[in-house]
Amino acid sequence: MEIKTITSANIPVFFNNLVKSGKVVVAPVLKKSGKVFFESVQSYDQVSTDYIQTAFSAKSVVFPEVEELFSYTKKEDGDFEFRNDMSNVPETVIWGLRPCDSSAFNYLTDFFLKENPDTYFKLRKERTTLISVSCAKADAACFCTSVGLNPGNVTGSDILLTAMGDSYYVEISTEKGKSVIDTALFTDSTEKSKEEFLAKVETKFSMDEIRERIQTAYDSAEWKHESMGCLGCGACAFSCPTCTCFDIQDEGSQESGKRLRCWDACGFGQFTRHASGHNPKSNQTARRRQRLMHKFKYSVENFGIVSCVGCGRCIRVCPAHLNIFENILNVTKA
Amino acid sequence: MKLLQNKVAELFENGTINLMIGFKEALTKQPVPCFIEKASEIEQLIYTKDCKNNLSVYLHKPEVKQAGKIGILANIATLRALVQLTSENQFWDIEKTVLTVNDKEEVIVFSDMEEVEAYVQANFPEFSEEDLKLLDYLESLSREDRWKYWTEQFSACIKCYACRAVCPMCYCPQCTVECNQPQWIKTSAQTTGNLEWHIMRAMHLAGRCINCGECGRICPVGIPVHLLTVKMNQDLFKEFGTKSGFALKGDYALNSFKPDDKEGFIK
Amino acid sequence: MSEFEPKIVAFVCNWCTYAGADLAGTSRTQYASNVRIVRFPCTGRIDFMLLMKAFENGADGVIVSGCHPNDCHYTSGNFHARRRWIVFRSILDLIGFDTDRITFSWVSAAEGKKWANLVDEVTDKIKAKGPFTDLDKLDGVQLKELYDEAITK
Repeated sequence: MEIKTITSANIPVFFNNLVKSGKVVVAPVLKKSGKVFFESVQSYDQVSTDYIQTAFSAKSVVFPEVEELFSYTKKEDGDFEFRNDMSNVPETVIWGLRPCDSSAFNYLTDFFLKENPDTYFKLRKERTTLISVSCAKADAACFCTSVGLNPGNVTGSDILLTAMGDSYYVEISTEKGKSVIDTALFTDSTEKSKEEFLAKVETKFSMDEIRERIQTAYDSAEWKHESMGCLGCGACAFSCPTCTCFDIQDEGSQESGKRLRCWDACGFGQFTRHASGHNPKSNQTARRRQRLMHKFKYSVENFGIVSCVGCGRCIRVCPAHLNIFENILNVTKA
Repeated sequence: MKLLQNKVAELFENGTINLMIGFKEALTKQPVPCFIEKASEIEQLIYTKDCKNNLSVYLHKPEVKQAGKIGILANIATLRALVQLTSENQFWDIEKTVLTVNDKEEVIVFSDMEEVEAYVQANFPEFSEEDLKLLDYLESLSREDRWKYWTEQFSACIKCYACRAVCPMCYCPQCTVECNQPQWIKTSAQTTGNLEWHIMRAMHLAGRCINCGECGRICPVGIPVHLLTVKMNQDLFKEFGTKSGFALKGDYALNSFKPDDKEGFIK
Repeated sequence: MSEFEPKIVAFVCNWCTYAGADLAGTSRTQYASNVRIVRFPCTGRIDFMLLMKAFENGADGVIVSGCHPNDCHYTSGNFHARRRWIVFRSILDLIGFDTDRITFSWVSAAEGKKWANLVDEVTDKIKAKGPFTDLDKLDGVQLKELYDEAITK
């Protein structure tokens, strides 16, 4: 870990230099709808600085909602030409993601690369640098502190920026982080406490307690009541920084077409439906349970990490306002 | 609030209902749907002007239907939806008790759907001014600019189908987007398919959409999808004089016709 | 460069317009060969999605035609269709879709001449408008252009 500081006035310079260096810079932008989204931007003026959380996570940079796996065209001799050109995936910097989101990248990396590495993800991840910004504000939906994270954790980030008055405290965790640092703008610094500049996020539950009780939560009678409001859309899964389910779709004709990897969501009724018509997750209760158990139990068994990072997006985005931590608390009630 | 809670407690006690769909206050302070199965939970029940969710959508949900005798706390949009859905014969398998809170904060328990119909007709909601303003603005644009506006909006759509999920009129067990032989609408969330999806959704709601605006309100990416159906509702009234969610009996606009319907574009 | 020859898809009903087109053929009336006729039992069967699919698959213009009001073989199919088109057109207008590319018409089995004229007219109109490209650039363009831009920067 290398520690530096940069003045607030130099932040736009640093940012614009990143853009000038030829990298695609993806940063939070406030849209007319009042929501903040990650978008490719050209200048720091476009970047929103006053937001608690973006509506969607930045996972689409490494795991796009629609990814072309390959395309094909029938040639004149009747043979097919296949194309799978990943060479133009650019060096990308994600700017301004929250510490919860950058931790989510650790889970994504485990999921896609641990066994049978996914080449598409691997390439995108290698060409992505994460510059996170600590949270100075939080809202009622935030609960990172309950899942072992905090508004200033460095996990997953290449660089973490924390606003401290008129300067930013810079924690550089990786070589990739070092490589994008513009040395002229940064000065060396000693380790400081960030605490007073970070948002206070109330702990909604203790992971230690949950870890035990979640083992038997599958049979809880509360699931039905807790998932009563669930309408079966994909908003929670699509906004989630750690949801990785996808569906392979072929689009095209006998002449030409492409194979696409599209996001999918366990809340959809068709998600687990077999060709026979049988559906092992035949109701919304079972689907909601799958989502929550996956986050808090199955991913711990498979990767040793709770795959919920407490960003609170699913709570803010849910049309029925289902609250993941209330649900978890209620199904693990003693 | 006490009045409402007492009324609901009464309904539980005399066995009229065994599930109440209403509103409670979330941690975020906004009113959110709640499901009361026990009399002890009645205290959380609230009703304010900010109770916007159209709860009638839950009456299609198997887990809710299982309760058999269901109470539903309805705002005016929900009441309209209930009228429309009754006209579409959707509630043959449940017993429902409809409650509302009127402007004078009185709790009304409707004894049958005819009473709901009369209440809806007496309190029929206008189009929202905000929607009309945005529509006027869009209509003032050139065709090319409108195309630009909407394709930009739809390019952000991620096909989470939340608009479909919250819609009380979208109750088909299998939606057209889920058919793949033929594949009418591409599954991938790309602009052409997204555009087709939203056009299709609006068309399938023609004459049935009760204008609650939930689809636009809850869209995670903030696309004003409800404008399509608002425009459609306006046109249907202008062209054919029909209003959806207005009467228990009668055909809906695209299910009926008049031999002298007017148009100016068929050669 | 050779002149642009538009692809026009005509969705027609079996009983009137298809017979009308047949009459145009048997009377050896010359008309533009740009049209591809798809026969349906009735205009009431012509789903709006078919029109969308035609455009998606490369049509430059679409004709929808059936029996005159009161002449429907099934009594009311065309009346239902008429209401549907009124709503469909208004939604397309709001979205900014070029509705000039869709022509609705009533052509009876006796109107071979009208059919021939209609096709000629529509072909000329679409020729003047040029190819339909509104849908071509929509998919995947954002990301791709972004990347090309980044590479050339």
